[in-house]
This record gives sequence, C-alpha cells and structure tokens, in this order.
Amino acid sequence: MHARAAARFVHTASAFASRIRVAHGEKVMDGKSILGILLLAAGQGASLTISADGCDEVAAVDALVALVDSGFGELPCNG
Amino acid sequence: MQRLTGIGVSPGIAIGRAVLLLQNPLVVRFPVKAGRVDDEVARLERARRLSEEQLREIKARVTRGASDLGHLFDAQILILQDPMLLARAIDVVRREQVNAEWALQRAFEDVSAIFDEIEDPYLRERRGDVADVAGRLRMNLGYGRSAGRELFRDVEEGSVLITDELTPSMAAQVDWTKFAGFASDTGSRTYHTAILARSLHVPAIVGLGDASARVLPGSTVVIDGATGDLLINPAEDEIEATRARAARWARALRSYEHYRSVPAVTGDGLAISIQANVELPDDLLFAQEYGADGVGLYRSEFLLATISPDALSEDVQYEAYRAMLQRMAPLPVTVRTFDVDEEQLVSWPQGLERGRAATAARSRGPLGLRAIRLMLARRDMFRTQLCALLRAARHGRLRLLFPFVSGIEELREARAVLKEAAEELERRGETAPAVPVGVMIEIPSAAVTADLFAREVDFLSIGTNDLIQYSLAVDRTDARVSRLYEPLHPAVLRTLRHIVRAAAHQGTPLALCGEMASDPVLLPLLIGLGLTEFSMSPSAIPVAKQVICQVRAANMRRVAQRVLRMATVEEIERHLLASLGEVVRRATPDDERVDGAT
Repeated sequence: MHARAAARFVHTASAFASRIRVAHGEKVMDGKSILGILLLAAGQGASLTISADGCDEVAAVDALVALVDSGFGELPCNG
Repeated sequence: MQRLTGIGVSPGIAIGRAVLLLQNPLVVRFPVKAGRVDDEVARLERARRLSEEQLREIKARVTRGASDLGHLFDAQILILQDPMLLARAIDVVRREQVNAEWALQRAFEDVSAIFDEIEDPYLRERRGDVADVAGRLRMNLGYGRSAGRELFRDVEEGSVLITDELTPSMAAQVDWTKFAGFASDTGSRTYHTAILARSLHVPAIVGLGDASARVLPGSTVVIDGATGDLLINPAEDEIEATRARAARWARALRSYEHYRSVPAVTGDGLAISIQANVELPDDLLFAQEYGADGVGLYRSEFLLATISPDALSEDVQYEAYRAMLQRMAPLPVTVRTFDVDEEQLVSWPQGLERGRAATAARSRGPLGLRAIRLMLARRDMFRTQLCALLRAARHGRLRLLFPFVSGIEELREARAVLKEAAEELERRGETAPAVPVGVMIEIPSAAVTADLFAREVDFLSIGTNDLIQYSLAVDRTDARVSRLYEPLHPAVLRTLRHIVRAAAHQGTPLALCGEMASDPVLLPLLIGLGLTEFSMSPSAIPVAKQVICQVRAANMRRVAQRVLRMATVEEIERHLLASLGEVVRRATPDDERVDGAT
C-alpha cells in the first residue's frame, strides 16, 4: 500500500474510538499506525482482514472496507 | 574539470558556487539518572510538538505552490504520531534510562530494519520518510540548532546545493531563492525530493554516488538536470556554452507561465492538440502543469523501473493505469504497450537508473526481438497487461498503442490477444469496454503501408526518432555517422506526407510523437504537412504552443509544398528558416524582444 493510501487508511481509522487491527497473511498491525500499515507490505490485490474492537466497531470496519474497496481514490484527505 | 553523471530528475541548468550540506547523523549516547528520565521524555514530547508545527507549516507552503504535494507531508505527520516510532523511543527512555537521542535512534533503527526486509522497492524507499522524520526530531531535540531557512541565512544567492542526501522536508524548507539547483549522492527518480524539485522548477540530479565527497565548498559547479551531468570546476568556455543553454531554459520557464493556459491555435485558427510524453506517473504533474491536452504517449515499460517483472501483476498494473487515467480524465491517455527487448526485461531497473536509457539501450539490438515482437512471443505477459488496461479503461479515456509494428499480421495478432483479454474479463464477470486501438508508425515498412493500417486501426501515431533512424539507416549513437541523422531529409518529409495522406484518406486520426515535434523550426513544417496532433516531453510544451500561436497554417502549407520539391537538406533548411525567421528568433533564447512578446 502506498504512502498516500496508507495515510488515508490511518486518518479514517483514527476517527474511530475502537481499537483497529489489520492483518495480511501472518502479520497483524495497528490500524492507526501508518508505519504498521506500510509494513504490512500488502501489494495491490492482496487480501486484508480488518477487525475492530470497541463502541463503534461496526461503523469502523464498514468505513475502512469502503475505503479499501474504493481504491483509496475518490476520498479526499483532510490531514 | 571533472564530470559526474547521475540521474537528472528535474530539467534545467544551474551554474554557481557549491554549498555542502551533509546530513549524516551524529548521535551522542549516554545513560541518564533515574531522576532525569522524565526530562528526557519531555524533550521528546517537545521535539514532537516542534516537528509537527514545522511539518504543518511546510505542508501549507508546499500546497500553496503546487496543490498535489501536500500529501507527502501528511504521511510524515502521521509517522510523527505513530506508536512505532516516538512511543517506542519514550518506552526505551523509561525502560533503559538512556538519553532521548539514543532512544530515538534505537526506535528508528528498529523500524528501518523491518523496512529493509521488504522487497517492494517503493516501500523500501518510504524508509526515507521515516529517516526524514527521525532527522527532524533529532534536530529539534537539540537546543537552539536551527533548520532550513535559518541554516542557509548567510549563503549567497545563486549557489548550488550539494548534499549526501536531501530529504523531502529539508528540500521543502530550503530557501530556493538562494539556490539555483541541487545534486545529491543518493535518491532515484521516484523519490519525493525529485518530485518536489520538478514542481519547484529547480534543476536537480540525484544518485551521484560520492559527489558530496568530491566537490569542495565554494568551487564552481554546473548542474544539468536534463542530462544528469554535474561538472566540477569547468573551464571558462564550458561555462559560456552552458550559460547559453541556461538562458534557453529560463526563457522556456517564463513563457510557460503565459502559454500553459493558452490553447494551441495557429494565427489563422487551426486548433492543434499538444499532448505529453510520460514515463513515470509523477510526470503527470508536469503534463498538467504545462497545460498538456492529454497524454499522447505513456511509455508503460517504465513501470519496470520501480517494479520487478515478476511483481508486475495484473492488479499492480491496473492500479498504475487507473490512477493515471483518473487523474487525466476527461483528457485522453494513450498507453503504449511494453516496448522492451529481452535483456531490458531482465535488467530494466539498472538500465533506467543509469541514465534514461530507453534510446541508448535500444541501439544495442534495435532490430531484434523487442516491443510487439517480444509481447507476441510472451503472450501471457502481453495478455496480463491488456487485461489490466481494459479494466482500467472505465476510469478515463484510454487509447491503446502497439509499438514497432512492421506489418498488418502483427496488428491482427495483437488484436487477437486483446480479444482474449476481453473474453477473460467477461469470464470473470467484469466488463471490457471498447478501447480505441492504434499502431506506432516507426518502421519504414509500416510507413509505406500506412494506408493498409489506416483501414484497420482507430488511430496512427508516428514515432519520428525510430522512423528517421531506420529510413536513413543511421545509428545515432555512432558518432562517425550520426550527422546523417537528419529530420529534414527529403525522404523523411516525403514519408511523412505519405502517412498524412493515407490517414486523411481513411479519416483515421493521426498523431506524431518524437523529438521532431518539440523543435521550434520543425514543428511549423509538420503543421504545414497536415499534422495537427503532437506529443512531446512536458517541458517542451510551452515553447511549442508559443510557436504555434505565431504561425499561420496556410503559410506553412505553402512552405511545405515548396520544400517537398527540394533536393538537399541544406536547401530545405535555408528556405524553412527564411520563412520562419521571426518566429524562430522569438523561440530562441538570447533575443531581448522575447520579454516584451510574452
């Protein structure tokens, strides 16, 4: 995942209170850590597992899945 | 004089005295007393606050200049807040009771070690962003040590910056009114600093190896950001020659401000389409800045510059094409399928970084198994590329271009693979939109049979560099014969006329890409020959637009008719210059009237 996409992912994840985990293969990383997301080294087309734990867990997973599905393209980043 | 050659990443010429900036970190490490641990943590927190303020300030400044670069620093701000870096450093301070600098270096080294294991070269390079953030934190840990603007306060204007590494955030903080250009030991075309340099129009060379060790502070250096040459202590005549070229660049930059927003229309109202040749996705920034009407030639083999052939999967390619199409939409993007030979397929990255070697590398075996020939021999790879392109097509206006086609059979065979790709997509339940298909006319056999191609394709694109080389049987890289490479050779002009007529007869759109289009003397003649669509390197666009606005198509048609009857290059050139006189003088650098005209 490229830096810009990773930044969008982390921005989105950080908007939620839940603890967010992203897994790719055996690696599991903190969804609010840009280095973690970059270090998953998930190329395009790789499959990611996103899980959340907390009061807004459903909304968090929905938002992140939607972001990944959109190809990170259309969403503006207001960081 | 000494000449070093690196990778030219931002065109332009800078002459000046060298200023050296070395960023090798110097880290003091010592244990601290238990009572001092909180102080060390507070220093880290303070450094984070300062760093964040600086990065936000840099981001705001960069965003004002060129709207698309702010995201570089978004990622850095996030790295600054990342638990893996600073939180880890704080943890080290508390657990092991060491000073903040040492802890920060440890956290940075831990993260770096993980990055080093990654095989993807793009991601490995993001390690540079982490290093940049860590360097900033280190600097802000120091008391009173200043950065960026402060650091260069007493530097004289017109200096040239020579560094071991220029990180993006340092580059963004440098006061570029002081520096005419920069050169660095490390870096590649895709590094963020290279992108920044291009957007700031600062001539730049990266990947020089050990330039910072060879250049003495204060010595005279020349940077040519187009060729990647760094001259150290050049002779007086060398400097003079460089100054003339620098003037041409400066002029092009001045006219660009004016002509980027002006449509290319001749004095008598003929609209000309000026598109950009693009090698790397980042070049799009320039295509847009210089006001290109689209991408006329995307050299897709440059994907191999950052991604190994094995990793160049359909999805990876899809992402690259999609991003480009989306970004240029609604303007068209013409993607030329891979134009490589077998050797380049294996060792492309090196070949590329060693100096933009598409043309040089070609001369090794120009008549061998390459481009469409190689793709038809490696159908799987070809089909993968076509699948990715067809999938991306719905995100913009894609045109497909097959290179180095010598006969109709190859075109038909390539179309058959395209059909397979479309069927493959349909099998997967995806749609495969109809995409315009064209061929490069760059082999004489294709030029002679242009009428046959015009019947079977949606558009034709003339590649003049190869067409001239093969028509005249001249190896441009052989100094003993290179003067015979002559765009104004009657055979070349007649060939062009033949192609134009063949395309017009069928009503098939025709474009021309190649160096010929960006020459202010040749461009009007090409318009006179009936061409109306061109693709060139983005930096050549402003001058081309300027020339177009100053000629009349009807006049150029008469000039073309005259020169087509002439026998020698000399005669043709003389007549052309005489008819263009004023226009050409305006497009050349040392003319004072230019300033008034633009």
